[in-house]
Amino acid sequence: MDIVIRAFFAFLFVVVVTRVIGRRELSSLEPFDLILLIVLGDLIQQGVTQSDYSFTGLVLAGGTFTVLTVAVSFLVFRFRRMRPLFEPEPLILVDDGKVIDRNLRRERLTTEELAAEARLQQIASLSEVRWAVLESSGRISFIPR
Amino acid sequence: MAELPDHLDLGRHRDVSFRGERVARWTVLGLLAAVAIVALLGVVGQTPRESSASVAAAELEVSSPKHVRGGLFFQGRFTVDAREPIENATLLLAPGWLENLNINTIEPAPAEEASRDGDLALSFGPLDPGERLVVYMQFQVNPTNVGRRSADVGLYDGDTEIVTIDRTLTVLP
Repeated sequence: MDIVIRAFFAFLFVVVVTRVIGRRELSSLEPFDLILLIVLGDLIQQGVTQSDYSFTGLVLAGGTFTVLTVAVSFLVFRFRRMRPLFEPEPLILVDDGKVIDRNLRRERLTTEELAAEARLQQIASLSEVRWAVLESSGRISFIPR
Repeated sequence: MAELPDHLDLGRHRDVSFRGERVARWTVLGLLAAVAIVALLGVVGQTPRESSASVAAAELEVSSPKHVRGGLFFQGRFTVDAREPIENATLLLAPGWLENLNINTIEPAPAEEASRDGDLALSFGPLDPGERLVVYMQFQVNPTNVGRRSADVGLYDGDTEIVTIDRTLTVLP
């Protein structure tokens, strides 16, 4: 029973932490972000299973995480108002070639990082961009003029 | 010129107010930082806390954490300074010292162990005035042992109480 309860609270903790960390860190996987995610995963595993090395423990903890993940997905699908609790809304970063600084600041993004993302999509200059949108997943969509 | 992409709204996705989200984010970050600071102060476990009690016949001191967490190793140190002759120095430990804790070792080993009304009685024999008895116990916490329990420690001369220290042991999840 304890392992299911620990898994439940660990899941809630992960939801809160991932919302606080921000979508860019979770999607960009720069070296430091990658280390953060690996360390977090290891710490969460230890906190949930503790000294339980059994297959039963794996099924209980893994099953709880799976059920909660599907439950959250269903809640977000069924009740749209709950979506912001679990997934951030898309955020417009560039409107008609003009960078929206306050939205960039909110996501701790610099113009240079945004330009680098644009170059990855064969866009040489942000002035060529009609819309740039930071999606819920953390990826940036560029729609050219 | 491209129109606003489908399912996007300028009010919700460009000119959105971040005040609520900012407050929530900083509140959560503040809470996480507060937990870390509280942990640095030793509130959430493993830091030894000393308790002592003294009477004419002897002084008893206990050094052990009052808060521990599942899986942690910790030490309990029990020091008895005899001021009067004690025929059979006996430490009486409340069930909180035993319930769902692994006792890895007791040094020195007691001459006699017994259960006394649910408490554990460890007898170490006679002590002369000025003599000191130091007992070390090493524990490991069972992860399922969450809660607060009495961890009183009594010093007895055989069955006669000399002094008792009231303590609790809280096991955090």
